[in-house]
Amino acid sequence: MSNDKTDKALDPDQLHDQFNDVWGNPRGWKALTIVNHSTIGIRFMLTGLGFFLFGGLLAMLVRTQLAIPGYEFLEPDMYNQIFTMHGTVMMFLFAVPMMEGLAVYLIPKMLGARDLVFPRLSALGYWCYLFGGLILCASLLLGIAPKAGWFMYTPLSSAVHTPGPNSDFWLIGITFVEISAVSAGVELVVSILRTRGEGMSLNKMPIYAWYILVMAMMIVVGFPPLILGSILLELERAMGLPFFEVARGGDPILWQHLFWLFGHPEVYIIFLPAAGIVSTLLPVFCQRPLVGYRWVVLAILTTGFISFGLWVHHMFTVGIPQLAQAFFSAASMLVAVPTGIQVFAWIATLWLGRPQYHVPMLWLVGFLIIFVCGGLTGVMLALVPFDWQVHDTHFVVAHMHYVLVGGMFFPLLAGIYYWLPHFSGRMPSARLGKWGFWLVFIGFNVTFLIMHWTGLMGMPRRIYTYEAGLGWDLPNLVSSIGSFIMAMGIATILLDIVLHFRFGQPAPKNPWKADTMEWATSLPPCPYNFVSLAKVTERHPLWENPDLPESIARGEHALTVIDHGRRETWGVEPLTGKVREIIHLPGNSWLPFIASLLIAVVCLGLLSKFYWVSLVATIAALVVLFRWSWENGAHPNAAPDAKVQPGEPPLHSRTCDGPGLWGMGVTLLANGALYLALLFGWFYLWTVSPNWLVPDAPVIDQRLLLACGVLLAIAVLWQRPVLKRLSKGQGEPRTLLTCFVGIASIGLLQSALLLWALLGGDLAPRATAHDAVIVVLLVYSLVHCLLAAILSVLQALRVHHGYVCVQTPYEPLVVEQLWQYNLVVLWITYCSVVLFPPTFGGA
Amino acid sequence: MQPLRSPYNPIHIPLGLVIWSLWFVALYGGLSVGCSLAPPAPEQGQWNWLNAVLGLFSLLTMALLLWLARLFQLAARRGAQRPARSFSARLAAGVHLISAIATLFIAIPTLSLPPCV
Repeated sequence: MSNDKTDKALDPDQLHDQFNDVWGNPRGWKALTIVNHSTIGIRFMLTGLGFFLFGGLLAMLVRTQLAIPGYEFLEPDMYNQIFTMHGTVMMFLFAVPMMEGLAVYLIPKMLGARDLVFPRLSALGYWCYLFGGLILCASLLLGIAPKAGWFMYTPLSSAVHTPGPNSDFWLIGITFVEISAVSAGVELVVSILRTRGEGMSLNKMPIYAWYILVMAMMIVVGFPPLILGSILLELERAMGLPFFEVARGGDPILWQHLFWLFGHPEVYIIFLPAAGIVSTLLPVFCQRPLVGYRWVVLAILTTGFISFGLWVHHMFTVGIPQLAQAFFSAASMLVAVPTGIQVFAWIATLWLGRPQYHVPMLWLVGFLIIFVCGGLTGVMLALVPFDWQVHDTHFVVAHMHYVLVGGMFFPLLAGIYYWLPHFSGRMPSARLGKWGFWLVFIGFNVTFLIMHWTGLMGMPRRIYTYEAGLGWDLPNLVSSIGSFIMAMGIATILLDIVLHFRFGQPAPKNPWKADTMEWATSLPPCPYNFVSLAKVTERHPLWENPDLPESIARGEHALTVIDHGRRETWGVEPLTGKVREIIHLPGNSWLPFIASLLIAVVCLGLLSKFYWVSLVATIAALVVLFRWSWENGAHPNAAPDAKVQPGEPPLHSRTCDGPGLWGMGVTLLANGALYLALLFGWFYLWTVSPNWLVPDAPVIDQRLLLACGVLLAIAVLWQRPVLKRLSKGQGEPRTLLTCFVGIASIGLLQSALLLWALLGGDLAPRATAHDAVIVVLLVYSLVHCLLAAILSVLQALRVHHGYVCVQTPYEPLVVEQLWQYNLVVLWITYCSVVLFPPTFGGA
Repeated sequence: MQPLRSPYNPIHIPLGLVIWSLWFVALYGGLSVGCSLAPPAPEQGQWNWLNAVLGLFSLLTMALLLWLARLFQLAARRGAQRPARSFSARLAAGVHLISAIATLFIAIPTLSLPPCV
């Protein structure tokens, strides 16, 4: 579909003005409406920097307190809050959002696209992150911050042992922030698969996009178990549902499983994008392609999956059978192999290239040294007997910082220095940059290398202070001095970055002679990235065609007509990159900001126990989100006019395979991961809970549940042939209207039956974990079935308004996936709650 | 878009690791349920019904993964003229092979450790 227009005399300046009219970012209050990926990505990173400085300040307080034995710089309770918040802020508010922000900024540019595929979702994610992070951090300023450690182990974090709102801030705040992580995950997956430049097949995709694709999928599958765990623990704390309390049939180890099902992949969610930076930068500074592209892709995929099989290695000391420990120990050692493949690919690239040691390269070399050391201590910890010896000591703290700081912070700094010209149009200073690196490198090793010995000498984690004469005095003092050297290094880097905006040399085009498409934009880039979309058929487009930036800016490639006022980018076939449709993107909108603000009110209502405020805000947020879904497709605010240029493919909303289908699919994958984690909890408690209480008789009317399943099946079977005909361009509006009204009615009836089953049974969710889990399973289905019914009502209204018809058949297919999902979930619930118990000694 | 059954559909790229994940969950879950329902006597050591079931299940999974790896390798050869197809199929073959090796490596302890101690 390369629509090269060399024969047409386009005035580039005029073209850019036209594009700015459609894509431009407003200023003042209206800046809150911006949905463009560049702005959102930069906001993510700046906010992440703010939280990093806050988390770093907390680390300084911890190191000051531990510098000498018996020191009383901090009160014990405040110390607990500070170390908990340090870990929480760094993991949830800095590392993941920072990497996501960089990916949100870079991915469309690297893929040769104009924006991410769901821009309003990007904006919603950012505001949820900001508001959630502020709520969480405000708790520390109020002196009521979480204080049970960043993994919030039960029973310490439960209402009995941590009364007050401390743990609630963590559970509600982190869940709020995770809306941001999951939404970015969904968006990045769909964008990478569906919005690449024309001709960019999977084998030509920039290696960074592979890393981000796997990271985003890991977020989609990995975060939901923690979201579920947080919901369950909050239900236990606020409403007394005993999921983790042994006396009433729960089990605190279930929390550990749910947390580490998320927690271990989290390490790789942070590491993989950082490794992506390494794999992107090293070839540029060696001026040769990455050695073993396919091997590296294989390693990324393998790491992404195997990292989910390691979670129990955080639980080796809780009393799990040796054979199970051996499985997880083997998997933990195994994950080092794909990481090793990447390390060897990087070394081979260095070996075969002609490395140039600019500041980013210093950080890359620092990364290689520190991360390999952290990886090796990780393999040591994978060995069960060794882990038993050093579990919960400072050795683990040192290992974790080697992996996370070495594996994430160092590559991030390399990337920031490398992409600085993108943000400022100027080059960084070599002198201050080198000072910053060496101060951080030396300070880091002085702090954490020594800490391995402190741990081997037996110093436990999370202790407020220690007695003199245990051999821990000197290493602790050295670690504290090292941490302040590191802080000076970070201050130097910040100074360098601030000064470069004023004194840095103006960046030339493609200043590092890079190969990837993000350097084909202007510096700093326009909101639309590329005024014309080039065909990208090589893995290193700017090395193959150094004149590409100029020809793009002159509008010599495709999709340059914008008088229709739509924001557009290509939609491509996932494997080959062949153009299939034009994806039209929504413009700036208040909806994401308002929706996230209302969700923030929901959270504040829950924290302050004003539940009616939360209820009202929830309804208001839903109204805003339904309005959001209304402004799509053929709506006047979206793409009422379906005209395209001759020879161009149709708009995505006029096809049957737009990105929304993929977005719904990936979202349901995340949703399914949450449901499977809940199901895991149900079967886990049946199997190993020490005091599992099973009622003598069924606690719900099983016939009602069966009727729900049958009704849901009827609804799904009814709409399938109707939508099949619609996909083929057949179907009267009246037929569609009847179908959607009919299935919405069935959905509402079925939801009413579910509610009846829930309220009319003998469930005692506060008395036993058994009943509590059943309540959550039923409420989960009820919420989803109600949502599907409401969406079908909206579809009926859209048929009535003419937004859904044979010319625009796309949206009902998106909603249909939710109906199918609900059907599968409800029948699994039926089997688990009704059919399974009698086979396992229950009623 | 390639049909779902085509070896060149990119959805098959991670298939081997999806199978590996399901096997891993079944392995750990099977061990836990087995130990809960009918734990073998500790004096039987590693030679007992539960280890035998888990070991056999692992061998079958590995065999399936190796067979699929071979299928995708052959598909990669057939599609060699089209680089994107060949890349996808060869990657899928590699993923299946690695998954088979991972299955074998992780299951080896069933030969040396009792299950429920």
